[in-house]
Amino acid sequence: MNIKEYIASGILEAYLLDEVTPQERMEVERLLAHYPELKQELKLIERTLESFAMKSIIEPRRELKGKIMTEIKANSSFKPGAKVVEFTPLQNVWRYAAAASIVIALGASYLAYSYYQQWQETNVALNDLISQNQRVAQDYNVVNQKLEKIQGDFSIIESTAFRKVVMRGTSGEPNALASVYWNATTSEVFLSIQNLKEISKDNQFQLWAIVDGKPVDAGVFDSGNVGLLRMKNIAGATAFAVTVEPRGGKESPTMATMQVIGSAG
Amino acid sequence: MYDHYSGALYGIVHRIVRDEDIAEEILQDVFLKIWNKVENYDAGKGRLFTWMLNIARNQAIDKTRSKEISQGKKTDDIANLVSRIDNQESGEQAVDAIGLNEVLERLPKEQKFVVEHLYLKGYTQSELAEEFDIPLGTVKTRLRMAMIELRSLLEVA
Repeated sequence: MNIKEYIASGILEAYLLDEVTPQERMEVERLLAHYPELKQELKLIERTLESFAMKSIIEPRRELKGKIMTEIKANSSFKPGAKVVEFTPLQNVWRYAAAASIVIALGASYLAYSYYQQWQETNVALNDLISQNQRVAQDYNVVNQKLEKIQGDFSIIESTAFRKVVMRGTSGEPNALASVYWNATTSEVFLSIQNLKEISKDNQFQLWAIVDGKPVDAGVFDSGNVGLLRMKNIAGATAFAVTVEPRGGKESPTMATMQVIGSAG
Repeated sequence: MYDHYSGALYGIVHRIVRDEDIAEEILQDVFLKIWNKVENYDAGKGRLFTWMLNIARNQAIDKTRSKEISQGKKTDDIANLVSRIDNQESGEQAVDAIGLNEVLERLPKEQKFVVEHLYLKGYTQSELAEEFDIPLGTVKTRLRMAMIELRSLLEVA
């Protein structure tokens, strides 16, 4: 429950105007008990309402006060001073009335309890649905991201601006295979793994570009990547190669661990 | 209690029913109700004034729904109303209506509209939504924004 949003919806104002459904009323009162900031806000609104009403004061005629006081004295159900009553048959009526009201009170309590239970159950069911909904939304986002990745990869593979450089296995790793998609104009480099062996966690593959006859670091990667992997930008490459290096990569390649190599020419 | 609150309650009632005699009659009913029901008032749930205000507002709204007052009156302009009250009863009243007008004028137009109709003209939120074709949720959030404005305009801390 986001209390700020709850407040911003104007529910407290409606509650104070007595214009909420019984369910909303229960909810407001339950939340008021839990969130001090909600209670604080309610008090502020009440005070605002009061000073607003004090701004709109119209004094009634002076005679009205006396009239109202007389009226209250005549009609009031609460009459101080008339307390001592003799034991008369009338009192039996009150006994029945008292008994009846206890029965009614018990009945009402039972109903209140049963409605409360039902409400709790509904609430639990609602929360289940909400979390289910959130899960579905998350799944959807994951799928959507995957789709976008695939679309992006596809547009690179399809693009004529990218040249595909196939890197074939060296004599030590004849079955190894990987490719580079290289845009000579923008220098962008994407790697696609077809078949590289499993290596220990302490090591990583490192991509090298041969520029002016010298190896240039084009970034490290782990095995098990699906799709295209963006590597460092490289300009003027004549070939690409992959070696196995300690995790994090090295400044110059270890020639003995070379897995694949391919000419970009 | 009468001395402290009668002016504020009468002000609300009077603005809703637009008739001095009826307003007096309602105020009398309101105080009778307050007197007889004061044991129902739950201090834990809110201020005494809010409770009394709702009794007064509901009583006044009920009255306007009855045949005694024609519906047409409701659409009068609030400015006319305030000046009418000032002119016709200026002798007897310590009217703070100018202050009220000033406060209302400083609200954005759509907030002023909502406040006037809900608090001074006796519309319920759903009536306001229906009659003026505003979504009920919008009525609620506008009143909410108006309350925040009023809070600073009225310097409620």
